[in-house]
Amino acid sequence: MAERTPERLVRLLGLVAYLDRHPGVSVEEVAAHFEVTPQQVLRDVDTLWVSGTPGYWPDDLIDFDADSFDSGVLRLTQSRGMTRALRLGAREAVALVAALRALSESVGDLLEPAEREVIASTLEVLTAATGDAAATMDVQLAVEARPEVVAEARRALRNRRQLALRYVDAADRVSERVVEPWQLLTGDEHSYLQAWCRSARGERLFRLDRILEATQLDQPVTTRPGRSRGETFTPSAEHERVVLELDQRARWVVDQLPVDETTDRPDGGMRVALRVASSAWLRHLLLRVAPYVRAVEPVAVAQEAGAAARAALAAYDAAEG
Amino acid sequence: MADSLPPAERLLNLVIALVNTPGRMTKEQIRASVAGYDRDGSTEAFERMFERDKETLRDLGVPVTTVHGPAHADDAGYRVDLDAYALPPMELDAAQLGVLGLAADFWQDQSLRADAARALTKLRVVGDTSADTDAVVGLAPRLHAAGPALAPLLDAAHARQAVEFTYRAASTGEVLRRTVEPWRIIASRGGWYLVGFDTGRDAPRVFRLSRIVDDVVPVGPTGAFVVPADVDPMAMLAASQQGGTRLAWLSVAADRAGALRSRAVQPDGEDPPAPPRPGHDLVVVPFERSADLAEELLGYADAVVVLGPEDLRAGVVRRLREAVAMTERLAGRATDGERRDG
Repeated sequence: MAERTPERLVRLLGLVAYLDRHPGVSVEEVAAHFEVTPQQVLRDVDTLWVSGTPGYWPDDLIDFDADSFDSGVLRLTQSRGMTRALRLGAREAVALVAALRALSESVGDLLEPAEREVIASTLEVLTAATGDAAATMDVQLAVEARPEVVAEARRALRNRRQLALRYVDAADRVSERVVEPWQLLTGDEHSYLQAWCRSARGERLFRLDRILEATQLDQPVTTRPGRSRGETFTPSAEHERVVLELDQRARWVVDQLPVDETTDRPDGGMRVALRVASSAWLRHLLLRVAPYVRAVEPVAVAQEAGAAARAALAAYDAAEG
Repeated sequence: MADSLPPAERLLNLVIALVNTPGRMTKEQIRASVAGYDRDGSTEAFERMFERDKETLRDLGVPVTTVHGPAHADDAGYRVDLDAYALPPMELDAAQLGVLGLAADFWQDQSLRADAARALTKLRVVGDTSADTDAVVGLAPRLHAAGPALAPLLDAAHARQAVEFTYRAASTGEVLRRTVEPWRIIASRGGWYLVGFDTGRDAPRVFRLSRIVDDVVPVGPTGAFVVPADVDPMAMLAASQQGGTRLAWLSVAADRAGALRSRAVQPDGEDPPAPPRPGHDLVVVPFERSADLAEELLGYADAVVVLGPEDLRAGVVRRLREAVAMTERLAGRATDGERRDG
């Protein structure tokens, strides 16, 4: 997909200012620093080479040392005055500052002193540069877990060691597993340990508050995270397809769940197709949105949820009596 | 000439021209001399493109200043002031850039992801080049997507401009047009909230972003309000969520609900409102929002029975009855269908 104009423009301007500060950097280094491909850097240089002040005679243009360029090194010889770094826009500043503040406030306890220090100093530099722009947004992260579990997971992550877990899943089954921890995903609602599960031979997300026990093992971590951004659930064709007709009050289902397909109805309601890997998860979902459900396919799924609800009501009646 | 120049390159040439101009450039000069503008096209098309370009640049933090000539008002020109667009002097070391990369990875929303990524590109200019550093090992924050309302609300809060949107009230389900002075946007416990002053109700209010049913539209002038100094948006949000931690007394089937058991506490000195069911254990967990815990407990069906407090018990029972009603409603529909088919 073609890169958007604002992203490219910001990088083009950024490259000139960066190269002005770092004379003689290789194309590969620049590419790594800006997290783009070397080919993209070369395309950017081609553009800069023909850009400049009106007239566009050779002296008007941004220029690079040709000999260096031939040996793969970028050395700016004419910057046309574009050597200052761009300031951050209001939303750009708030996006970074709010994230850093959330990290230092909500996750601070999980961090090593050196890590806390880096976050604090970055926040300080950034706040000094952006002023009060960031006062418009606050983010709270939820790290609800046993402190000893989090501490042990962090220790294993640092040491790159495997972890033995005792875990209770959404269907309320307790299991013992050996996992290769990759990272902690700290979210606003729940936090997860992303890991390769040796027991299940697959990538898994473990909700931190469902890890009952964690113990670092001697065996090293041998796998690396895949390309996924650690989605909590990635639907795939092998999972059962369930279709729900919901009225508009259940719109959050569409917003927050891994839906396959949504069709809006004229009255604000919607038809939602889901891929479901766990029947316990689906039952729980139906119990939560029951008042807003107009239809379910297959209908047996709704009957199962209803049966669970009747059993639970019976338990309440028994408790009363 | 090259009206086919990609927009990024036209904008680059515009910025370089406006930074280097000794005084100012008039629109005519820009149109005639800056690479990428079509000098042979219609004046209207040029004006539209130039206005859009100015707006794009302003959004990126490069304000184009209008300068009026000494003689008449109609020889207005344009210029970009280096001081207005430059980042204040600052340096970032490799570890700090690493932390910023982590922060940029925070956002699930397309618009904020793009904003954060651009900010990172800008900051890399003043950042140290070095090998990959993992300043904070194995930590990856992530948030729920806030949806389309977030970006316009942030813009309006920053510009201190009122907004209008259509909102579905949580309690009544009533859908109404609201006009709000946006004070603060807060992400908390899986939800996104706007805390602001509802001008229609003449009182501060908390709104949940997911209940905004249409586009957020800025209305009125910018700089229209100030956030009162004594306002604590976090406290308002907490109050709207019936803050305060209470204890839930639960009767839990043997060996079930490990996730609840892992959060259990020992209540000091208090007696349970009722004894656990036969074969069940007494499990006491702290909670803040009764609706959240009630929803969680539904998943355990008859393996967990609420002994107290009463509002939590009632909340669970009401939801269970709604689920039974759903089954009956759907079964009724199925029967109707058969009858019609027959």
